[in-house]
Amino acid sequence: MSATPAWFALDVGAPWRLGSRVLPGRIWTASGCFGYGLDGHDIRHEQFGSPYAGLGCVVTKTITPQARAGNPQPRLCELPHGALNSIGLENVGLSSFLADKLPELAVRGVPFLVSLAGTQPDDFGAMAAALAAVAGELPNWHGVELNLSCPNVAKGGVDFGTDPRTVETCCAAARACLPARVVLAKLTPNVARIVPLAEAARRGGADGVTAINSLIGLEVDLRTGRPVLPRRSGGYTGPGVQPVALAKVDEIVRETGMPVVGVGGIAGADDALRFFALGAAAVQVGTAQLRDPFTAAMIARMLAPAGCRP
Amino acid sequence: MSAAPASGPIFATGRVKANGLLCDGMHRLDLELPRPTAFAPGQFAMLNFGGRDRLIFGRPLSILAVEAGAVSFLYRVAGEGTSRLAAVAPGAELAYFGPLGNSLPPRDDGPPRLLLAGGVGLPPLLAWHHRHGREADLALFGARAPQQVPWTLLSERWAVSVDSAGQTPAGRAAFEGTVVALADKLLARRPERDWRLLACGPLPMLRAAARLAAARGWSCLVCVEERMGCGYGVCRGCVVPARAGDWLTACQDGPVLDAATIDWERFGASAPTPGGGS
Ligand SMILES: Cc1cc2nc3c(=O)[nH]c(=O)nc-3n(C[C@H](O)[C@H](O)[C@H](O)COP(=O)(O)OP(=O)(O)OC[C@H]3O[C@@H](n4cnc5c(N)ncnc54)[C@H](O)[C@@H]3O)c2cc1C
Ligand SMILES: Cc1cc2nc3c(=O)[nH]c(=O)nc-3n(C[C@H](O)[C@H](O)[C@H](O)COP(=O)(O)O)c2cc1C
Ligand code: FES
Repeated sequence: MSATPAWFALDVGAPWRLGSRVLPGRIWTASGCFGYGLDGHDIRHEQFGSPYAGLGCVVTKTITPQARAGNPQPRLCELPHGALNSIGLENVGLSSFLADKLPELAVRGVPFLVSLAGTQPDDFGAMAAALAAVAGELPNWHGVELNLSCPNVAKGGVDFGTDPRTVETCCAAARACLPARVVLAKLTPNVARIVPLAEAARRGGADGVTAINSLIGLEVDLRTGRPVLPRRSGGYTGPGVQPVALAKVDEIVRETGMPVVGVGGIAGADDALRFFALGAAAVQVGTAQLRDPFTAAMIARMLAPAGCRP
Repeated sequence: MSAAPASGPIFATGRVKANGLLCDGMHRLDLELPRPTAFAPGQFAMLNFGGRDRLIFGRPLSILAVEAGAVSFLYRVAGEGTSRLAAVAPGAELAYFGPLGNSLPPRDDGPPRLLLAGGVGLPPLLAWHHRHGREADLALFGARAPQQVPWTLLSERWAVSVDSAGQTPAGRAAFEGTVVALADKLLARRPERDWRLLACGPLPMLRAAARLAAARGWSCLVCVEERMGCGYGVCRGCVVPARAGDWLTACQDGPVLDAATIDWERFGASAPTPGGGS
């Protein structure tokens, strides 16, 4: 007879099924905000022990086929309600990830998804295949998240993520190489309608979508009249984007019923609960994980059955 | 190269024990931590406010000392975050995340060290000097004016330079000119030919130190500053251009970097801009 709604009582630390995998929990860290899942293992907190305690999944920094140097400084700009970043997808590249990071992830046992990006749709299939060949036996490797918010060189630099047909092609390419792992499409909010993109991901065989990636934003330095970031605009993230993320998650859940991993401005248990209330299957912590590496672990603890809900 | 941290970092709530002006433009903060911590000179901590006052990113400050359960910092008001920090009263709580980054290597039997500190770049070198300094080393501190020199922190073994002369405390003198000019003057009187440079301060001073060392064939370690998002290597926000072509991170590869590994032409090429949004 309890009036507690299911989303409020959800045990975020209980194993749950996504596609063909069982994931250990529903509180994750977002791509680009917790490295490759290898930093911070030596950091300690009086209450939460390790920053990895209770995490359902770490989504790695986005990996590209070749290493990328990323953008010049400054790469970050703090704003009153969030931050702009212009990291430029700096990453070690696929082969170095496979050679240096995977073995350590295997030892650490952190549950993880690998975030992938390319410059053409074929890259997603090739990268997924290379991953499957090397990591196929790793029990803590659950699959991939396709970062579709990057320019498609083959289509004149338009983001993959803005065209439903391209989203479908990328998902299908990864799916074909990963029959028994999770494939998530990470969607950009920088479109008028997000639902057609989610539907395209489903047609391509994705198990669900992650929403949202960063919003495009810009800050002007009033001393110079010029944008603060060298590439003018950057990715806007943090508490200020949460209402946008909630609206996108709500649309996708209601119109498609697909599993949605919600991300945007989550810094506490109450933020995570807003996404669960809308039907999100899991949530990711991004910007807040930078300031406090225990943010996700703290939320996981608070939303565990014995935890203290807000 | 640089030494490993003295202990792993902790994330904890600290209580402000003291927070006040030490001299013109330089504040000292003593923060009590719930449990003892160690640090190595050069390491820093990310500080932030608690609850609703939290900033999106913590602010990196070098650790000056750890004494009697409190960790100490020296800072200047540079913008929104540090001006709010200056207004924090004893008893208030702050989020502490540290010690982070690498550190200045401990003493070995190599040549004497030439320490060049500028303004709030003092903590790493003061801490190093306190732990490892020897008679043969030269420790130099530079400021704009005598009122901006934390005289009480600097023993007589520190030589001081100021951009513009003025009244100094009884028994203390200051050289008029840059800290690098003072170094030139003092080195001319010393018989040693070989020195190792340790420098921490504003970017122009680090550049001058790196040039001085390169011209004389000495090794030079600098403590670099960059905007930081995380302080523990995950955001890739704090990059410093490397000679080898790509980047070094100020928070993980540094903040102590070998000057010869930095691409000084690209470093700081885009003028710094305020972190605050409005
Ligand atoms: C490893 C490290 C150690 C440091 N140690 C000290 C110290 O011991 N004492 C001290 O006073 N300062 C130190 N700094 C610099 C200090 O972090 C900045 O002054 C501070 O973050 C500015 O914050 P703010 O909110 O007051 O200013 P903001 O309004 O954010 O910015 C004001 C100005 O400071 C610059 N700035 C902003 N963030 C940083 C940053 N993270 N690093 C460098 N410059 C920045 C901006 O470009 C701008 O010019 C250190 C920086 C680093 C990276
Ligand atoms: C510094 C930084 C780097 C990021 N890098 C990536 C990335 O490599 N790939 C990706 O898909 N998203 C990246 N993101 C976006 C986040 O994963 C997340 O979608 C976004 O920040 C919104 O969540 P938040 O408000 O909790 O930060 C990055 C975000 C930040 C702040
Ligand atoms: S501050 Fe995030 S990587 Fe250095």
